[in-house]
Amino acid sequence: MNNTAKKGPPRKDSILELAKFMDATVRVKCLGGRELQGTLRGYDELVNLVLDDCDEFLRDPEDFEKVTDNTRRLGLVVIRGTQVSMVSPQEGVEEIANPFLVAEEE
Amino acid sequence: QQTTEHAPVAKFLPLELIDKCIGSRLWVIMKGDKEIIGTLNGFDDFVNMVLEDVVEVEIAADGKKTFNKLDQILLNGNNIALMIPGGPEPEKYPEYFR
Repeated sequence: MNNTAKKGPPRKDSILELAKFMDATVRVKCLGGRELQGTLRGYDELVNLVLDDCDEFLRDPEDFEKVTDNTRRLGLVVIRGTQVSMVSPQEGVEEIANPFLVAEEE
Repeated sequence: QQTTEHAPVAKFLPLELIDKCIGSRLWVIMKGDKEIIGTLNGFDDFVNMVLEDVVEVEIAADGKKTFNKLDQILLNGNNIALMIPGGPEPEKYPEYFR
């Protein structure tokens, strides 16, 4: 017997599988330039996020595009999915030299 | 009778966390350099919010904060970036409590 109640579209249709980031440290970039880092404790299909022990990276007062290493502690935060531009795991992140410079050959 | 699907992972749903915050202090950080601290009365599907006993904080480029006191407001959810239940901690952010 078919279920006549409408279920709607399947949940978690997102191409980003946040389940694998659960309880991991992630870095979130927001549309206004804010950058945050914290432990992912929850999310929904709209990419609203719950981050624990969250720090916000403060921006350079002279140049708002530049993010410094100074942080302010925010604690448990909810991030609006409409404002999220990037979510990435902190693990495996390292600063490297510019890989796009063409080496000069003599 | 209602059947609900349970997600296998125990996690916090973001909007459930905000729902639990109704009646308590909430610190809302906007996309730009403005923050709102108030008691959450409620919110809708778009996360427009009704807050009361509100302190509006405007942060200038040099970090200087301007505080405005407001009674009850409807805050447009369009520019809300972060929400922090409980509000700023007085020990960490004493300037918000003058």
